[in-house]
Amino acid sequence: MLLMSIYCLALSMLLSSCSADLSVQHVTRQAEEGALAVPYSIVCVIHGDGDYFYHDTAGQESKADYDALAGAEMIALQNPHAEVFIFHQLPRRHFLFFFPLHNGEFYYYRNGRLIANESYRRDQEQSNFGSEAALYHRFRMDKQRKMANLFFYCGHEIPEFNGAGYDASYPDRSFTVQDFASGLKEFTRDSERFDIMILSTCFGGTPYTVGTLGSFARFIIASPENLHLSYFDLRSLKRLDLSMQDGDISAFAKRFAHHAFDRLTCDLQTAVSVAVYDVDSVQEFLQSVHGVYSDTLSALKGEIQTSTAVIEHCDCADLPAYVLPTMNEGVDLFYRPARFGRLKNKQSHSGWECWRNIEP
Amino acid sequence: MTARRVLGSIVMMLVLTLFANAGGKEQLQKYFGDAANKVKATSAASEKREILNASLNTMSKALDIVQALPLLSKNERDGIHRYKSAIQDKQDELAGRNGYVRVADGQLNAFANYIVQDMEQADGTVTIGIVTLLLIIILAVLIL
Repeated sequence: MLLMSIYCLALSMLLSSCSADLSVQHVTRQAEEGALAVPYSIVCVIHGDGDYFYHDTAGQESKADYDALAGAEMIALQNPHAEVFIFHQLPRRHFLFFFPLHNGEFYYYRNGRLIANESYRRDQEQSNFGSEAALYHRFRMDKQRKMANLFFYCGHEIPEFNGAGYDASYPDRSFTVQDFASGLKEFTRDSERFDIMILSTCFGGTPYTVGTLGSFARFIIASPENLHLSYFDLRSLKRLDLSMQDGDISAFAKRFAHHAFDRLTCDLQTAVSVAVYDVDSVQEFLQSVHGVYSDTLSALKGEIQTSTAVIEHCDCADLPAYVLPTMNEGVDLFYRPARFGRLKNKQSHSGWECWRNIEP
Repeated sequence: MTARRVLGSIVMMLVLTLFANAGGKEQLQKYFGDAANKVKATSAASEKREILNASLNTMSKALDIVQALPLLSKNERDGIHRYKSAIQDKQDELAGRNGYVRVADGQLNAFANYIVQDMEQADGTVTIGIVTLLLIIILAVLIL
């Protein structure tokens, strides 16, 4: 009898977690009827399935993904003319060890109000934003002409190869830049590129990453070097109707990057680099170095498996093959070296990050 | 085997279970975060230096022990190598060895923050398996 009761309880919890949230759909229909124009759109994907613990300078402990979530919710509330999609990717959890629980949390804001909040299950097989894109297309206001579409991702460095374990609770699953690009395709489908893609990750400014993701954005903001888990400050994304009033996307991207740089340099002793890549303008450089960078990646994929070689990131300007006249075209970089360490006297950076072998 | 060693072994096993559930890398960062807080809480430069030295030395000893273990994967060995290099660099800079200018007394708080922040980059260098082992070893060094 007791076992039957437990079984029924578990079954009811499982079924309730699977059922569609009809109250959300009812609220959505009501909200559609009274919606104001939403010429701005922001998609925020916050990766939380990993180690995101950090300290601020006062010694307070924080979790980077939850801080990013709070920041995203703040800008959603303070954008009366935008629709904001927030996806918080969480670790895998189970009820009674067997029954999988939702491992994603979705928030949809429109005109500064929370319209929907749903738990969802992330992709179970390959990780490529399938579940997130489905929610995005279900809620977005298709017929609205957009002044600006923004995409924001924060998490650990997106690997260019060997992406196994990116999701800590799916150690056998791989997530790489290529998977990220496949996911972006689910969002954009046949429509235009995002106006700005913000990659709040380490080492987002490599020729391969910018080249691959450039199909989905006009401007990419990324940190070519390490980025502290306090991430890029999002406050510049408040009131897009005012800050983007003139429609100058390039100028806005640079203001965002500059503000993020100023905030990071206030608190951090480590190196800070924030770059804006004008995707169309960097194409000549990317095409020139595509072959040598691809060869490097192919060699590294092989070496990783077989040899004791140790690799590290470096400024592409340290490698002669990348020092070309077009290297700085289309790149606006805000950079400050670390206050300590071997590179504290490195006063400049090319804005592009590469790989090199070091002695084991 | 002494009673102290038996107690230490039991504590290690309990801590291993706890840290495996809580996220080993968080505890590792907390280790350096706690050291930084102690540095900032004291005003004497000699004490600040001693706290930083002790925390880096303990970690360095732990890495030496872990590195000697057999059956580590290539990824784990690469992670240990990077970690050891990073720790050694910080020890050298603190002391003014190996081409570094010694960290000035007035910069010790900032240097403590630098150590913590350098560990908290969004790149995820050290694998969880190794982190758990390091924590065990740190405790072993402190307790036994």
